[in-house]
Amino acid sequence: MTTAPVLTGPALDRPVRARIPTGERWRRPALGLLGLALLVGVVEALPRLGIVDSRFLPPFSAMARSLAGQLVLADFWTAFAQTVRGWALGLAVAMIAGIVVGVVLGSVPLLRALTASTIEFLRPIPSVALIPLVVLIYGSRPPSALVLVVYAAFWQVLVQVLYGVADVDPVVRDTARSYRFSRRAVIRTVLWPTAMPYVVTGFRLAASVALILQVTAELIIGVPGLGRSIGVAQSSGAVPETYALVIVVGLLGVAVNASARAVERRALRWHTSVRRDL
Amino acid sequence: MTPLRRRRFTALVLTISTALLAGACGSDEPAGTPAADGTTKVKIGVIPIVDVAPVYLGLKQGFFAAEGLDITLETAQGGAAIVPGVVSGQYQFGFSNTTSLLLATSKGLPLKAVASGVASTGQPGKDFGGVIVPTGSAIKTAADLAGKRIAVNTLKNINTTTINKVVRDAGGDPSTIRYVELAFPDIAAALAKGDVDAGQVVEPFLTIATGQGNRQVVSNYAGTDPDLTVAMYFTSKQYLADNPKVVSGFAAAMTKSMEYAGAHPDEARATLTTYTKIDPAVQQSLVLPRWPATVDRDSVQLLADLAVQDKLITQQPDLGALLP
Repeated sequence: MTTAPVLTGPALDRPVRARIPTGERWRRPALGLLGLALLVGVVEALPRLGIVDSRFLPPFSAMARSLAGQLVLADFWTAFAQTVRGWALGLAVAMIAGIVVGVVLGSVPLLRALTASTIEFLRPIPSVALIPLVVLIYGSRPPSALVLVVYAAFWQVLVQVLYGVADVDPVVRDTARSYRFSRRAVIRTVLWPTAMPYVVTGFRLAASVALILQVTAELIIGVPGLGRSIGVAQSSGAVPETYALVIVVGLLGVAVNASARAVERRALRWHTSVRRDL
Repeated sequence: MTPLRRRRFTALVLTISTALLAGACGSDEPAGTPAADGTTKVKIGVIPIVDVAPVYLGLKQGFFAAEGLDITLETAQGGAAIVPGVVSGQYQFGFSNTTSLLLATSKGLPLKAVASGVASTGQPGKDFGGVIVPTGSAIKTAADLAGKRIAVNTLKNINTTTINKVVRDAGGDPSTIRYVELAFPDIAAALAKGDVDAGQVVEPFLTIATGQGNRQVVSNYAGTDPDLTVAMYFTSKQYLADNPKVVSGFAAAMTKSMEYAGAHPDEARATLTTYTKIDPAVQQSLVLPRWPATVDRDSVQLLADLAVQDKLITQQPDLGALLP
């Protein structure tokens, strides 16, 4: 692994932070906020102008009022915590299982060949197709959501880890072998640093997928959490509350993505795709 | 990472994964069987709708605790999840509409109704479910529904057989009706867009929709039978055989809850805020169903006849095996 090709690599396409003029630095977030404000304006205007029926899409101000009312309720925060807990637990299990299974399968060619077709068969099964199955086994309790979340997120991690392990430079691996590195040392010093960027990508993908499945499970099965609150609001005919909770789930998604990126920057701070001092 | 930090990291990962595995596999306390102190943990699968208010009220009044039952209410989003949940033992008891229970029984699922759930008020036009049309619609009576597109929440179930029954009784031909499956919250929107000509809704959607430019044509439950038992609480035959005392205790507490809710409609109305998000104005004006203490056997027989007549099932289910 030389550093020379990196100088022409995609890393340099990213502007170096120190060189951005102050005006430029604020332009992108400002434009992002402006876009959001426009969206809010459209959602406010459409029902008020009668273009859409305000019974079915209330103006944004009504949603915001309902949201403000929700924020002071203990039930809301309980549901919020249940969703976040379910998401975090499912993601953690999927990460650990994905990394362990991926490293084992990836580093033993025989196992990789044996499991390749099985993985390609199981991976495309949509997690939601397992809903009838988990309802039979766990009913509407949190393990139902956990199974769906882990199933969906696991493949994201596993496939990335497999690619990461396959990406190891043969020269580096052979060199390590020539120096009689132990199996553990090879994993630690050769395999892991190569696979790390892939693992982090898997984490970022899995984090979003896990949230989607957590909320889906709550909404469809009735597992306690924000999704179930959306379902209850919907079956009570409480339209502004329904939209208010949908907005909360959307914001949660933004937060999950932002924190996954933060984790990526921190975990890969040594990696050329993240470093800005080159 | 230095070796020390690495070892710490490994230890941390191991601890977390062990904790997670322990959390995922263990800690599943057995539900449904009496514990040493005489109380039994019982799970009931319910839908968060107006119909199940008596359970919430009975819990508050302590009727279930008096029978030694420690109840956990598990809300499923639809009745479809509750029957499999009871059969597989996830829930000890469940709430389901009568036709669904009849269909499940005729398919050989070992279910046993233990208590009455909810019934029609018996007053046409003032029932908790009905068929609505936009105010300007040409549909005036049940007979006019023949040949129209009607939205129902589930095809081939209690709502289609009871609509068919009231249309037939009014002299219309129900075989010409085209049913469209839509969730209750979506029916008013589909009516407004003209996607369907009529829709069957229950409370709170009946009150919301009639307050927003829709009109009720016919009460399909009251029109079918004034004492129609629309839904019941049930358990599995297996659970009944293993825990007859728990089941009789649950049935007794349920009967008390139904009587209490029937006698205190204002309290029943007030409990709605604890488990639904119904708008306060709607909550005050919606029509509460009737909560009788006993199952009306004749109306269940009628629903079974209608299910056979509309070819939902081919032969009469064994009512003696299903009903308490």
